[in-house]
Amino acid sequence: MQTVKRNGLRLAAVMGAGVMLLAACGGSSSSSESSAGGSAAASGSTGDGSAPTKGGTINVLTLSEQFNHLDPQRNYTGVDLAFASAYLNRTLTQYQLAPGADGVTLVPDMATDTGTSNADATSWSFTLRDGVSFQDGSPIGCADIKYGVSRTFATDIITDGPTYAITYLDIPQNDDGTSTYKGPFVEDAAGQANFDKAVTCSDDNKTITFNLNQPVGDFNYAVTLSAFSPVPKASDTGEKYDDAVVSSGPYQITEYTKGQKLVLDRNPNWDEASDPIRKAWPDKVVVSFAIDASAIDQRLIADSGEDQTAVPIAGMQPENLATVFASDDPRFADRSVDAADPYARYMVINTQKVPNLKQREAIAVAVNRAEILQIRGGDFAGTLADGVISPTLGAAYQPSDMWTSAFGQPIPDTGDPEYAKQLITESGEPMPKLIFQFPNNPVDEKIAVSTQASLAKAGIEVELAPLEPGEYYSIVMDPTKAEGLIRSGWAADWPNASTVIPPLFGQNESFNLGFAGDQSYWDSISTAKANTDATAQAAQWADLNKQAMSQAWVVPQVFGKTQYIWGSKVGGSFMWDAYGAIPYANLWVKQ
Amino acid sequence: MTTYVIRRIATGVLILFLLSILVFLLFNALPADPAALTCGKSCTPAIIEANRIRLGLDLPLWQQYWEFLKGIFVGRTYGYGQAAFTCPAPSLGYSFRRGECVTELLLSRLPVSIYLSLGAFIIWIVSGVFFGVYSALRRGRWQERVTTGVALIGYSFPTFFIGLLALYFVVIKWQWLPYPDYISPFEDPVQFLQTMILPWLTLAVVYAAFYIRLTRNQMIETLGEDYIRTARAKGLPERTVIRKHALRAGLTPIVTAAGLDLAILLGGAIVTESVFTLPGIGRLAIDSVLEADLPVITATVLVAGAFIVIANVVVDLLYAVIDPRVRLV
Repeated sequence: MQTVKRNGLRLAAVMGAGVMLLAACGGSSSSSESSAGGSAAASGSTGDGSAPTKGGTINVLTLSEQFNHLDPQRNYTGVDLAFASAYLNRTLTQYQLAPGADGVTLVPDMATDTGTSNADATSWSFTLRDGVSFQDGSPIGCADIKYGVSRTFATDIITDGPTYAITYLDIPQNDDGTSTYKGPFVEDAAGQANFDKAVTCSDDNKTITFNLNQPVGDFNYAVTLSAFSPVPKASDTGEKYDDAVVSSGPYQITEYTKGQKLVLDRNPNWDEASDPIRKAWPDKVVVSFAIDASAIDQRLIADSGEDQTAVPIAGMQPENLATVFASDDPRFADRSVDAADPYARYMVINTQKVPNLKQREAIAVAVNRAEILQIRGGDFAGTLADGVISPTLGAAYQPSDMWTSAFGQPIPDTGDPEYAKQLITESGEPMPKLIFQFPNNPVDEKIAVSTQASLAKAGIEVELAPLEPGEYYSIVMDPTKAEGLIRSGWAADWPNASTVIPPLFGQNESFNLGFAGDQSYWDSISTAKANTDATAQAAQWADLNKQAMSQAWVVPQVFGKTQYIWGSKVGGSFMWDAYGAIPYANLWVKQ
Repeated sequence: MTTYVIRRIATGVLILFLLSILVFLLFNALPADPAALTCGKSCTPAIIEANRIRLGLDLPLWQQYWEFLKGIFVGRTYGYGQAAFTCPAPSLGYSFRRGECVTELLLSRLPVSIYLSLGAFIIWIVSGVFFGVYSALRRGRWQERVTTGVALIGYSFPTFFIGLLALYFVVIKWQWLPYPDYISPFEDPVQFLQTMILPWLTLAVVYAAFYIRLTRNQMIETLGEDYIRTARAKGLPERTVIRKHALRAGLTPIVTAAGLDLAILLGGAIVTESVFTLPGIGRLAIDSVLEADLPVITATVLVAGAFIVIANVVVDLLYAVIDPRVRLV
């Protein structure tokens, strides 16, 4: 689940119900609404006024039975990325360990800098630092990273991970759109040769170059994903590598009993001098799995025994928020945080079911968004959204005017059924009966009922279609099964709307659930992606977001927030915007 | 007797075989597509198809079942090339969601369910029978009313309520016990007991309440029989009358209920394991259902079914021990 993962930098499909959760990401200044927990931290600095010291055990508590994946090429949820990248899987670049906007600043990790590209950003090179090694002491070279990247192409074995390598690397495709390279487990000289051209190593095995099939101005952000982490070929056991990751970080796995615990001890071959990000304060990290979510909150609130050095993986449960945040209890002042997360929640309007723009506008206008926010938890759940680009993405977020002028007049948060009726009349067609698909859980069910009721006031008939959470996205992502209205959500894979607009509204994108867009719009997406000027590109994404909202391809509802609490003897914790998670690499035990 | 046991075991195996077919067909009749379910976020039709082959779902249904059945006897290999691995026999499949061979997964969870069930069983059967007899012997007095009243209250509360209440007060508020953190009794018996005592008591409270009432009713009925009056008239000590004549005669329905209750719990105490975060079969089952992890669901159903079948055989055998009138043929 739940599983639910919060996350980090990545566009994630918020699958409220739990299917694929992604990472998430984050953002920028807007997330400075973080309320506590480390207003002063910088990488390795305190975050709460106490001096960091080495030693002790950090305890991590989670509802999940296991990490979705620790295998770097399969690791794709925000919390998994935040955790594994902190302790086990180093990457070429990473984000600064700091609260607020500084937390999404790109910094070198295994690479000596944040990468260099050619003029049109179709080729990116990274040079490795001296001293980076695996847990067995063998040095990490370009070939290890290249091999790691190659695993992404074995899509029948290395599942669940991001596929940016497949999308971006300049490798010929078959007629059906699949790559001619099938990964390292298949003996295929031609395919391997294609991959070897796309990813090259310098003679000294220190510099890796990625040759891309399109300009990607922010490719150095993509390599923060552990899909670009090294894997030693000799230790690769495919599917089973998930259980026995060879660490490149400051800790290594000494015990992993799914459903019970994961124990990390220091990696004796990690060279602190080679790592500008991780400080490795605690001697040990112990993750306890399968703890009831509310019990985690209660234990952290009670703050006794080993829980004093504990942090959660997921955010707090709604029923416990008032205890911590709605009181002035000083016990929680410096060990909790209430901050924006990178998710945007919205309802998709399937353009194949509702091709008439006026009718889509009518649906958007009729929805009682204020009630939906209340159902989600009110102010603790987030703020009313006006697009799919979260404010945590900084410059790419601009007000879309969706609720002020895009539909001809201001639309109240509670919806305007009368105006919706007028729009339906103007559409010149009878409004089709709609089916609303949503994951069958209590919150989404209430939202669906609210939506049904508010649309009914405008004369729009909606049938509810709850789906089992585990199979939700596999159904709505099937074009033959997607209905008129679909509950969804998303968070960026890295702090750029290049991981929001293209996947949600791009041509033939699997998460373009409503089949939105036209050739002109898709051409604009291509133009924006090729723009290597970050500021100009952000403006283009903001404009494309505005266009999408004016077309009512989705009904944006909530920009999310998350709340965390941790033990009183945990130092260095805050909301790390990069992953919408606790900065595990920055934690220490207060002595 | 031997023939009876062999026949019952053969019948049990047949039932499990039929159950496996039924479960297999049921879950394959679901509308969900496991290939899409385990495909991840970056799902494309090509990846889903590759995933379908990886899961063996591209094979005809009968062949999928045959592969499953064959795996039980000869093991099963997944993947290819350097990525190949084998789930040794008896293989109940591989959980692609959890990345574990199902048999290993079940074996790692089984001891927890066994410890939980047996511990709770001992507490509830001893206390249930004891207080049931006690209240029957105090029939009409305040002791009976208190005992049956307490039993009724215990029986009225659901397990999750008692469990959460115990967890909140004993562990979180009063901190008399550490938070449940399961460990094998062979590794740390003290922590094991600290972890298991609340789950045992939680289950025992609910079940003991039922057994108090059941035993009481059986005892009252039996004590009213003519042969009990005869035994007393012959001058047998009251203790002997109670233990050897009344209680033994009333045990048959208690053994039947206890056998089935224990078997059901061995197949997974879903609520208790979830509340106390015990990694047993029950929690595995419910998590697998939530995640649509079909191989694990199938295996947990079969394990639960096996316990029921075994319990029925054992109960039947016990009948002969308890009641000499019963002959197993």
